Amino acid sequence: MAGSLIKIDEEIVTSAVASVSLLGIDSTYDVYMVSYVGLRASTGADVNIRVTKSGTAQSDSEYDRAYKQLRSDTTFGNSSATNQTSIQIGYSGGNNETYENNNTLYLFNFPTAEYSFMTIESVRSDPSAPTIVGDTGGGVHTVGSASDGVSILLSSGNITAGQFVLYGLKKA
Amino acid sequence: MTLEEFKTECRSELQAIRDGDGIYKQVNNERLPISDDDFEQMIIDCANSKFDQQENGYKTARQEAYGSIQDQLDMQYWDSVNGTTNWADHIAQVKADNPKPE
Repeated sequence: MAGSLIKIDEEIVTSAVASVSLLGIDSTYDVYMVSYVGLRASTGADVNIRVTKSGTAQSDSEYDRAYKQLRSDTTFGNSSATNQTSIQIGYSGGNNETYENNNTLYLFNFPTAEYSFMTIESVRSDPSAPTIVGDTGGGVHTVGSASDGVSILLSSGNITAGQFVLYGLKKA
Repeated sequence: MTLEEFKTECRSELQAIRDGDGIYKQVNNERLPISDDDFEQMIIDCANSKFDQQENGYKTARQEAYGSIQDQLDMQYWDSVNGTTNWADHIAQVKADNPKPE
């Protein structure tokens, strides 16, 4: 089905920034998708996400998450938390290609007055182990009002590289 | 350290970066200097992250250091056959290497 993903916003990071915003979500589409590839961090850090309302990232303690961490080197882990100030969606080990984090997130209910939900499907390698790590699960912002985008940031340091794209999923 | 002490530490670290190379955000394909509100939020985020790592980092470290369930069951089987304590030693070593904060 050609043309089902409609690009809304694209940000290509080539110089260090603390956050990247993907904006432009409205009621045109029911479901949106965020894809980022090659996210590098100035130092090893968790990758986090916040929803935006009127273009402003929401930092209230209204984020919950739950995901399974699948890894090739040891026991699978579980990660869950409630009432956080952002949703942890991955990890980048450092500032080179071997530590890149990649992710696909489907966004649900963002243009509505319901909670904003998202799926998480993250993958990264860790050459120091070496191992491959995949995170799969979901998160929610438990505030019942429309969200118009997302802001991606790190637990510390800067995003030094990456391609970030927001798509709308065309209605059938 | 307390959360407030981490905030003080983070403010100092981030202020030095802001005064030096600057701190930016990317919006609409523009690299813009962060606002004062953004800066205050970064301090809170930084402090929360460090405090959480201090309080809970050992859990993740232990999780990654433990052998797989299969390996641990194998250790327990051979310990029962041979009268050794390899499994208990492994668990004790991981806990000792990644202590729970006081």
